[in-house]
Amino acid sequence: MTSRQMRFLFILGGAAIASGCASLGVKPWQRDVLARQEMQLNGDPLDAAIDDHLYFSKEASSGGRTFAGGGCGCN
Amino acid sequence: MQLKPKATQPKSENARRRLIAASCALLGATAARSQQTNAAPADSGLLEDWSVDTALAYYHEDGRIMAIEPLVSLAKVFADGQAVNLNATFDSLSGSSPNGALTSHVAQTFASPSGKAKHAYTTAPGELPVDPHYQDTRIAVGGNWTVPLTRLDEVSVGAKLSDEHDFFSATVNASIAHDFNEKNTTVSFGINNEYDSLSPIGGAPVPGSDYALFEKTGGKTKNGVGALIGVTQVMTRNWLSEFNISVDRFKGYLNDPYKITSIIDGAGNTTGYEYESRPDQRTRRSAYWENRVAWNRQASTALSLRYMSDDWGVRSETAQLHVRWSFSHRDRYIEPTLRWYRQTAADFYTPFILNTVNPGGGYESADARLGPFHALTYGVKYAQKLPGLGGRADSEFSVRVEYYQQTFDERMAAPAALAGLDLYPGLKAFLVQVGWRF
Repeated sequence: MTSRQMRFLFILGGAAIASGCASLGVKPWQRDVLARQEMQLNGDPLDAAIDDHLYFSKEASSGGRTFAGGGCGCN
Repeated sequence: MQLKPKATQPKSENARRRLIAASCALLGATAARSQQTNAAPADSGLLEDWSVDTALAYYHEDGRIMAIEPLVSLAKVFADGQAVNLNATFDSLSGSSPNGALTSHVAQTFASPSGKAKHAYTTAPGELPVDPHYQDTRIAVGGNWTVPLTRLDEVSVGAKLSDEHDFFSATVNASIAHDFNEKNTTVSFGINNEYDSLSPIGGAPVPGSDYALFEKTGGKTKNGVGALIGVTQVMTRNWLSEFNISVDRFKGYLNDPYKITSIIDGAGNTTGYEYESRPDQRTRRSAYWENRVAWNRQASTALSLRYMSDDWGVRSETAQLHVRWSFSHRDRYIEPTLRWYRQTAADFYTPFILNTVNPGGGYESADARLGPFHALTYGVKYAQKLPGLGGRADSEFSVRVEYYQQTFDERMAAPAALAGLDLYPGLKAFLVQVGWRF
């Protein structure tokens, strides 16, 4: 995937979310599936913390999902 | 006190009230779960109502570093909606760390960062120069406190401290989130401030100075500020989407104090080394998009994409996919993972310096983490529900393995005499993690 394709995807995604907010969504009694653990955005926080630390210390990028940085002298 | 008999209500009125109460309870429970499912049950002041998440990770690089990392996280939601999270991490690292110098046809001897003769080391011909005495421990503690302001707004503040023998970091963050569209849309804004203090072994090298002169000063600092704006949207009953834009800016001593760059002549001979020299500020911008979709009762996916760029010339793209398959009773699941990552090199990245040229306008680093490479991660996780402890309904045991491989994409033209040497060895590593959540 090229940078241009990636940017296009982001613009498309952002536009879809921004324009469709009012018409999207569910009623409160329709949240059964969304309540499952696998549907939580940070449902496995320790897995994410370990991965973030690994990638932060081996790559030039960090953050995105949450703040960048890492509080580690490894980079 | 005189007790009076209760007035009898008509049966139909009783039934109507019971129905209303049952509906309210159902809606309330559903809404609470949707906002915070990892937390312990609310309305309890007992310690055992904290949810506890623990993990032990073992990380091993092929011929280099190994690390053992235990983590623990405690979370609780109080009856008034406030939520607290406390976490602690311990890292123990040891092994061999690349010092940045180029592989050579002849043996190379390096001083240790401290300058002590007994820690000097020699790299055999054809081998990647690594400091074999690398050892470090890190302890980090953090906390986060979320307070609802209104039914639709909440603020969150957090802090983190991380300490190593040659590095200290303190971070604070604050964010505010607002729900609207029947809580189907959440907009959040957060800021982050990081303060880092470096006290490298032997002192912080003067950037770009001659390695042989051992020009080092005392401790150094760097500071970072960041901001993140995010939108979370419930798309359908089975689809949740999150989109974040973030920017951060770091200033100060951004060099790795232990990294050097080889200086070679036209014949490929190493004539010396110099300490790396990075700019003293860096601004990064990133866009992140995550989609979680439950395809049916068993299968769900989480796909995230990230694009990042910085003013050092690094551009990166990341795509990560988790596919979770829950078995029929939803008491266990298996989750394969695939992550693809690619980055371009920083403008001043160079694997070596030709002694006739100093590329990058004075800035230079041979740190492979600033080079052009792509990386793949393959992983799988298995989790199994077990009987709970104390009053808890259940607990969850999990085991996760990952394999990570970096491969260089572009190779700089090198003198013919260096042919046959692996100047870009890349990186292979694996991770094994066990977790227990109760």
